[in-house]
Amino acid sequence: MNLLCVGISHHTAPIEVREKLWFSDDEALSSLLVLKEHGFGEAVLFSTCNRTELYTVGKESQIGFLKEFLIERKTSQQNVPPSSLFSLGGQSSTRHLFEVAAGIDSMILGDVQILSQIKDGYHRSQNQGTLGFLLNKIFQSAFHTGKRVRTETNISEGAISVSYGAVELAGKIFDRLDKKTALVIGAGETAELTAKHLRGKEIGSLLITNRTTEKAEALAKKVGGSVIPFDSFQRRLNEVDIIISSVDSKEYILTADDIVRMNKARDSTTLFIIDIGVPRNIDPRAKDLNNVFLYDIDTLQMMVNENIQKRSGTVPEAKRIIDQELREFTQWYSSLEAHPTIGDLRDLVEQIRKDEVEKNANRFQPSDRELLDIVTKRIVNKILHTPLVNLKNGHEESVSDRVQKIAVVRKLFGLDEISTGSVGSHKDRVNGS
Amino acid sequence: MLYFFVVWAYGKAFFADTIWAKRYKTPLLVVTLFFHALYLVWRTIQFDHPPITTVFEILTLLAFSIAFVYLFIELRSKAKGTGYFILNIAFFFQLGSSLFIQDLLEVPEVLRSNLLGLHVSTALFGYSAITISAAYGFLYLMLYHQIKANQFGVIYKKLPNLETLERMSFSAFKLAFLFLGLAILVGFVWLPKANVEFSYTDPKLVGTLAIWALYGMGILAKRSGGWKGRRVMILSICGFVVSLFSMTVVNVFFSEFHKF
Repeated sequence: MNLLCVGISHHTAPIEVREKLWFSDDEALSSLLVLKEHGFGEAVLFSTCNRTELYTVGKESQIGFLKEFLIERKTSQQNVPPSSLFSLGGQSSTRHLFEVAAGIDSMILGDVQILSQIKDGYHRSQNQGTLGFLLNKIFQSAFHTGKRVRTETNISEGAISVSYGAVELAGKIFDRLDKKTALVIGAGETAELTAKHLRGKEIGSLLITNRTTEKAEALAKKVGGSVIPFDSFQRRLNEVDIIISSVDSKEYILTADDIVRMNKARDSTTLFIIDIGVPRNIDPRAKDLNNVFLYDIDTLQMMVNENIQKRSGTVPEAKRIIDQELREFTQWYSSLEAHPTIGDLRDLVEQIRKDEVEKNANRFQPSDRELLDIVTKRIVNKILHTPLVNLKNGHEESVSDRVQKIAVVRKLFGLDEISTGSVGSHKDRVNGS
Repeated sequence: MLYFFVVWAYGKAFFADTIWAKRYKTPLLVVTLFFHALYLVWRTIQFDHPPITTVFEILTLLAFSIAFVYLFIELRSKAKGTGYFILNIAFFFQLGSSLFIQDLLEVPEVLRSNLLGLHVSTALFGYSAITISAAYGFLYLMLYHQIKANQFGVIYKKLPNLETLERMSFSAFKLAFLFLGLAILVGFVWLPKANVEFSYTDPKLVGTLAIWALYGMGILAKRSGGWKGRRVMILSICGFVVSLFSMTVVNVFFSEFHKF
């Protein structure tokens, strides 16, 4: 197989190097055009935070050129040594693409975003006219594999970051977050991430408070929230359903008594509190209150660790699915070699000829029957001669054109149905027509 | 047999995430309910009385009503993770009925009444809704305690969130109030005519009215915004315990004309 893959990922380079080879949408589009001009009629290029990968159809000797091409396109010769890039050819590149699509090659095992990021790259190539017959089929198979792995295993289940774990817990308590109000106390990194996840889950409204108002305002701007003054945030507590707290404080900023009072004011509606602060910001006794769910950083980390362990346990099953899909793809690809197709086509036509001769033999004198056999064979050979020669002499064509031509022949004559054993149905079809 | 397959499919979907089970469990329940309804109609026509004359006929009706009310709630809430727990109740009721049900051709004239059929059916639907509401209440409390205790196992993963469970329990709660109200209404119209011994102070009648009033108050308390979450779920379970008491102890030891 002539599929080539060249790229950079978290396995081969640190973030400082990876970010230099990150391609924006426009950069990827223009690069595809240049590749086309260099004779790479089929190419898909995509970039994520952890990888940039280029797939194309060509010869393994062109790998060096492709590596340099990626580096040059980003004018990063000074900063990106070619050794930071990896390259794969043939079936290894197909397996790699399937593994990436399945999320088992991701930094976050079972990453759900990667599949849509590959799809973006696929659509980009489609629009740019660099998605040929072979890459189309390979990427379609990769999407199918990715989808199967996610539906048939639990590889993407369970949050594996503290911030997302908090949001996932909220989803286990509340049905819809769009009618809920969350209060973020503090403007630290985890609080920000949690707020972003809540916004992603369409939280109804986000209130942000911090000792330094400027920081609160900056965070509010980032996540689309509104700022409330830190010294009076307790007065707004009866409005909130979720509290995320991460401030430096030697004393509890909310005691259990505060929460009891607050609960009375809000008809004991369920309250979900995430305390990411160290030392803790919220009185842990609040955990025992009715309809109050309080979690600290340790609990969330424990949940995350359990989920990571569970995800790792699904890798063998994911690999089994990838192997299965890879086998199917290889089988399909092998069927597109010229020789088996020529053999299949000959067999088909010969079978039709034989059937018709047998069926009509009685209409001829016994002495003519041998002649009938010879004449029909000659007709068949003459009809098949040009198509078979054209199939055999495809070496000067591009791989994609040759493979596409063979696929068309197989489809037109229904050769795949026949090679999977449904000759009878083909005979019926021929006889019926 | 069909209920066994339904429970099995719901169990497979809940515990093993089996794709076919996830896809076909609800259609299988619909088919089961369809055949069960046909069976109930056939029994009514064949024996010329509604299937309410023996405990085992009541059990099959109860299984049907539990499965029916569950399906209604599942379709309404779109939450499918609780069927295994609820439909197990229907399965065991149907199993008991299938094993011991007898064909009674000779029954007292009073049990042939269609109004009685309506009275008993609505009461059974009411009690089924009470059972389902309590089962959801129980699942709610189970999940509530698991979340509080940081136990993130199968129950945590597969059950719907607390608000959904509360909503499902409350849907059943409202259905219980509606069906019991209908049963009481039909009972008040029919019972005085059918029973010379009828008395408004009959313990079962008073008990049922009390349960109905309890559910009515629960709805009011929830609607007015005062009662939420765990408290409503505990009320639902209490309602079930009181109903069970009314259906068993009161029915057997205290009720006079109202024993069926």
